Amino acid sequence: MSTPAGERTRGSLAAVFFDVRVLRVLGQVVAILALVTLALYLQDNYQANTRDRSGQSGWGFLDEPTGFNIAYADFRSTQPVRDAIWVGVRNTAASAAVGIALATAIGVTVGVLRLSHSWVARKAATLYVEVLRNVPVLLVILFTGAWLQTLPRSTEAYELGGLIEISNRELVFFGTTLNIPYVALTAALALYHGSHIAEIVRGSIQAVPLGQTEAATALGLSDLQRLRFVLLPQAFRIGLPPTINQFLSLTKNTSLGIAVAYSDVSSLGFRLIGARSPALQTIIVLMIVYLVFSLTISLVFNLLNRRLQLVER
Amino acid sequence: MIRRTQLRTLAFLTVFASLLVTAACSDDDDSSNGGGDDSGSEESSSGGGGVLDEVVDRDTLNCGVNNSVPGFGFQTEEGTYEGFDIDYCKAVAAAVLGDAEKVEYLALTPEQRLPALESGEIDMLSRNTTWVSSRDGAGGGAFVTTTFYDGQAMMVPTASGVTSIDGLADATVCLTAGTTTEQNLADRMADIPHTPQTFEENPQVQEAFLAGQCDAWTSDQSQLAGIRSSWPADQGGPEALTILDEIFSKEPLGPAVRDGDSEWYDIVNWVVLATIEAEELGVTSENIDEMLESEDPEVRRFLGQPVEGEDGEAVVEHGFGVGPEFTVDVIRAVGNYGEIYDRNVGPGSPLGLDRTGTANALWTDGGLHYSPPFR
Repeated sequence: MSTPAGERTRGSLAAVFFDVRVLRVLGQVVAILALVTLALYLQDNYQANTRDRSGQSGWGFLDEPTGFNIAYADFRSTQPVRDAIWVGVRNTAASAAVGIALATAIGVTVGVLRLSHSWVARKAATLYVEVLRNVPVLLVILFTGAWLQTLPRSTEAYELGGLIEISNRELVFFGTTLNIPYVALTAALALYHGSHIAEIVRGSIQAVPLGQTEAATALGLSDLQRLRFVLLPQAFRIGLPPTINQFLSLTKNTSLGIAVAYSDVSSLGFRLIGARSPALQTIIVLMIVYLVFSLTISLVFNLLNRRLQLVER
Repeated sequence: MIRRTQLRTLAFLTVFASLLVTAACSDDDDSSNGGGDDSGSEESSSGGGGVLDEVVDRDTLNCGVNNSVPGFGFQTEEGTYEGFDIDYCKAVAAAVLGDAEKVEYLALTPEQRLPALESGEIDMLSRNTTWVSSRDGAGGGAFVTTTFYDGQAMMVPTASGVTSIDGLADATVCLTAGTTTEQNLADRMADIPHTPQTFEENPQVQEAFLAGQCDAWTSDQSQLAGIRSSWPADQGGPEALTILDEIFSKEPLGPAVRDGDSEWYDIVNWVVLATIEAEELGVTSENIDEMLESEDPEVRRFLGQPVEGEDGEAVVEHGFGVGPEFTVDVIRAVGNYGEIYDRNVGPGSPLGLDRTGTANALWTDGGLHYSPPFR
């Protein structure tokens, strides 16, 4: 004689607890209590341990003088820590922005080349993608760093009429000076994420319904016109979300800048910790920085995405 | 059926909830810092936290060391450890266990070294660690007498002709991140324009230096000496590099023990002081047997030998858990300070650091090494 769940089988108070609905609510209450207890415990543990140790458990460290210099920045060691972090943010943004632009350019070009009629172009593009995609990004960064080290020493720099100067410390093009750490990091990120974006582009083009390609050909469009007017616009819609992912990934990978002595925000964070800023708070600041970067990039490109989405009937 | 699962769920929730309540209401008592007395007896004579007893029971000394700094803490291809700091581990093992080889070496990174000491994973830290106030205090360590007075220095290619830090205007100075090196550099070169390049590790700095991306390399003098000593021959060998004379920071290096066990602290401290006193008294690992027969009361007291007094013969009783002849064990095992220095970092060694006229000389020679009396 089974009773449907939810119906009281007895009229006593005890029976209340056998009600599935009550149990569900009780379960959720207990879960919330568990989370709150965990959070309180962690907070308390942190407070107790930082009291025992450095005595620095606040945000005052942001006003303390940094104590060291930062290369290639207009920065004095007496400036407060928050200024140092700001230099890091600017450096990260500079590398990420240019990296994203270059990676997209490389990605679209190589992705399209992978579908080329020319066997050589196809194979070359495939080689590029397969090599760069399957190697950890840190190794790519170290590789570009090492390769740039083979450029001539600054005392023997290659010069072209005072407009171009190439050495293993900096590159000067028509008045703009790029320091080698920046070039190494940005180039590596562009190459690495370019290979991923190439794959996304190739996949999105191939995902455009075959009928579109056939119709375009039937209409007499040349390959380039077909690509430009029919395939790419539609592929763009398909490929944008994963590409946004690559942008976010690239921004976060700038944190490997210390491998080539680039002063991105993470590298500066580690150096600040070495100079006795409190570790936990510094890392929290870094996380907030990356969160803001990521959310901004997502927001901007998702707005773009929404505007381009096909309105289904 | 339904009733049984409901019953089980209810029981589980009740138990879980009561555990939560107990956890939330219990005393949050902070882990006591120091006083590692989780095992071992409490019978030590002077404010002991039992480290001596643990070490004796275990019959091994756990020593936290470096494995990649030539001259100080270095692991050879065969796997043996050698260096200045290693010798002090051996000295303590000789004093406490009678055998300098009864040491378990644990190679640690800068981030691991103090936590390992605090947690009891190691009994002493002998890893070219600078004695600073925050490490003594919040860091949970207690530094014994300084064994090596180091400081930050600058290394340049000999071919550059630079002889002083003031000659490094507009230079690119390379260093590794993570310690106070950057700050000391900024302080010293505050009025000299320069470009600091911060790398993660020494091998990367070496690559950059070889490629000509760096005009100078700054780090502790002991580290620079070690790097210079193993500079590849095809790059010119050690002669291709010059370490400038100027030392621009204070980096007193020495062993450290855990806070809270003053008996153990005394033992390690007086082992270090024994090496210094031995050099002052002229006791070496070669002449120790003759010195045991010496008539000089100071030497006899130092070596724990009976001395004629007014009321008959007396032997020094230190009272920190090791017998009066511990000094003999130490000197037999590793020699006096001068021998330890010369063997590992002295002019005859690859590092080639001359201690004449520096802080590392004995106080009688104008340096800072001075031992209180053994009596």
